[in-house]
Amino acid sequence: MNRWGEKAVYALSVISCMMLFGSVATLLCYLLIKGLPALNLGLIFGSTPVGDALLLKRQVFDGIFPAMAGTLALILLAITIAVPLGLLAGIYMAEYSGRFTRNVFGFLFDLLSGIPSIVVGLFGFSAILFLHHHVSEALVPSLLVSALSLAFLVLPYIVKTTQMALETVPRQTRVTGLALGATKLQNIVFCLIPESFSTILGGIILAVGRCAEDTAVIMLTGAVASAGLPNSLFKGFEALPFYIYYISSQYADQAELNQGFGACIVLLLICATLFILAAIIQRKVKHTLLYRH
Amino acid sequence: MSALVCCLLVLLILGFMIVTGLPLFGQSQAMDLLTGAWSPRNNLYGIAPMILGTLWISLLSVTISFPMSLGCAAYISVLGGHKKATVMKGCVQMMTGIPTIIYGFVGVFLLVPLIRETAGRGSGMCILSASLVLAVLIAPTMILFFIQSFDRVPRSWLDAVDALGGSRVQKLVYVVLPACVKGIVTGTVLSFGRALGDTLVALMIAGNAVQTPNSLLDSARTLTSHIALVSAADFESMEFKSIFLCGAVLYLITAVVILGARLIEKRGNHE
Amino acid sequence: MTPPKIKIESLDFYYNNHQILSNINETIPENAITSIIGPSGAGKSTFLSLFNRLWETTPGARVEGRVLARFHHSFMDINTPKFSVTQLRRAVGMVFQMPNPLPMSIFNNVAFPLKLAGIKEKEAVQNRVTAAIKACGLWPEVKDRLEKKATTLSGGQQQRLCMARALVMEPEILLLDEPTSSLDPRSGAMIEELMVDLKQRCTLIMVSHQPDQVEKIADHIIDFTPGPES
Repeated sequence: MNRWGEKAVYALSVISCMMLFGSVATLLCYLLIKGLPALNLGLIFGSTPVGDALLLKRQVFDGIFPAMAGTLALILLAITIAVPLGLLAGIYMAEYSGRFTRNVFGFLFDLLSGIPSIVVGLFGFSAILFLHHHVSEALVPSLLVSALSLAFLVLPYIVKTTQMALETVPRQTRVTGLALGATKLQNIVFCLIPESFSTILGGIILAVGRCAEDTAVIMLTGAVASAGLPNSLFKGFEALPFYIYYISSQYADQAELNQGFGACIVLLLICATLFILAAIIQRKVKHTLLYRH
Repeated sequence: MSALVCCLLVLLILGFMIVTGLPLFGQSQAMDLLTGAWSPRNNLYGIAPMILGTLWISLLSVTISFPMSLGCAAYISVLGGHKKATVMKGCVQMMTGIPTIIYGFVGVFLLVPLIRETAGRGSGMCILSASLVLAVLIAPTMILFFIQSFDRVPRSWLDAVDALGGSRVQKLVYVVLPACVKGIVTGTVLSFGRALGDTLVALMIAGNAVQTPNSLLDSARTLTSHIALVSAADFESMEFKSIFLCGAVLYLITAVVILGARLIEKRGNHE
Repeated sequence: MTPPKIKIESLDFYYNNHQILSNINETIPENAITSIIGPSGAGKSTFLSLFNRLWETTPGARVEGRVLARFHHSFMDINTPKFSVTQLRRAVGMVFQMPNPLPMSIFNNVAFPLKLAGIKEKEAVQNRVTAAIKACGLWPEVKDRLEKKATTLSGGQQQRLCMARALVMEPEILLLDEPTSSLDPRSGAMIEELMVDLKQRCTLIMVSHQPDQVEKIADHIIDFTPGPES
């Protein structure tokens, strides 16, 4: 390769970096410029006094408070369902499964994590419609259905993180507990899980982020444009990403659009916070690993 | 135990889709549905336009994203200095955390008008706009996958090139890239799967017209947006049932993509 | 004693804030084997990496002081920015502790440095590769399978292949980081013989852990064993 060829390869690589970083930077700047003016307490609480809204004394109608609350409720529910299941499955995969089951299940979990989220949503949606027609008229797309579908969506992710975290525990640590006479279960509970806890926690936080941002699943399974604060598992609910989607297609005037930009920034902030939190937790692990030697 | 439950659920989804999609097969031949036109008024429920729309958008976005991602990954793991690369890698990781809906939202209000004015026709909601946004959306994951595969190149090979006086570009072209062909293919295939399964960007930006696209500036509807749009229809209607076929098709393509990626990886391990 | 090829003057080496080498002053004679000995962790490999600036690939590494090498009759500091690191590494070959053939054929491994340097004439490449493989005594063993992957060779053969690869650019200085420690005694002995032969055209610098090897072939010794005061 001559010098020009080399320079060309280098230049192309720099250009691709600039293209990617440039477009993402443009995206963020545009969002900030459009959204920052709308970013105030009014965006969140509308015309309702903050104290009253927080204490649930009065409904918020023209702010994104109900959507935020809806997203929060959704995350809590979905994670409460997904984490225990995911942890158990991960432990099973890492510690108990045989070679064959590990391969087959590993593939199925890969498949599951690759399923488009809209298909997961479609499944939740049709399952509840099926129940609605054949079991009880009271069963409609709702917070609970959304949470179940979302849990299903992030489940493979938690399973994989748990499995990887456990499998990468160094052999030394792995045998220490056993050498002291721990049973297999004791070893897992008292040695392996604490050892890999931070990695697992980081994975869970990323799963929370996924729940916070997902739109495709909830738009089929129960998210609605206006429902007020979530107060029942069996009713529709508002959620931040769905609100943004709704605004993008149905906005009536500039003020509503500005609110959409504001909501984007709020969502971005929530996701960024979760992401940085996960990164800090996982980095801390790396550091302890580095300095232990 | 719970692993078992999860696996059963996967099979359940597929089973459910086939069962609910069955009436469609009763009315006309399966091939007609997959390749036929969409015209509910004439009792035609073919999803061919949606399949084509999906393929156009996801293939185009991967085509745009691939060179960009490869260049970024090459810069971060081989060509760039250590400090700059670490910062950039952190940024790329952060990018994976940006919600899809935000890409869609900014796409609608920033990119779509731009494309409309540049093209001089149409609404700006077209395959090109959707693919561009999608390309940026899938790039970070692709880059991280490439970097991971670049970092697995044995240190001793890199030392050998360094000690022989090879430049960074030479190291990249003669040693790293040839050693990572499999990783690069796997990463691209997986990103293709991701582009295929994305709903919101296409739903918000591609225009959603049911038609066989002829140019990049045409509006198109993907399988995923079709599901999202039609799910509001009547439960018993044929229109509604067609979305299960869409689901099944998506499911199958995803399965093929993941199986393919796994096979490539496995073959790499044997050698 | 032959004239000096390299002079090291008041050299310090830091990794982040940790000092690895402090105030080193040494002279390395031309056309001789200089052996670096000392306990592990004393910085022997780091010292070796000074001569081809391979330490630069380690993030956080920093050098103070001068390393003067004589390539064209006069001594030059190889750490000055105007000294091209690529040129330096083409004039200073290196053999590592573990044989590290690249994932290509036997022939292409040896031809690789020529490719890096942009030498393309087929005949010249052919001749130089053949000569380098012959010089390492590997020719009879590989002449019928030059197109086979280099990883099909035994460990000792791989190490000699790596030496051939380092020699194909006809370097003036050859660095060897414990070149025989991962090999069986017979292959090790072959490498040692080869090194003695190479003295005629190279200056060799070797890190070694084997006292008998040092005694047998080294002309000059640099001892990194910490003195009683440190």
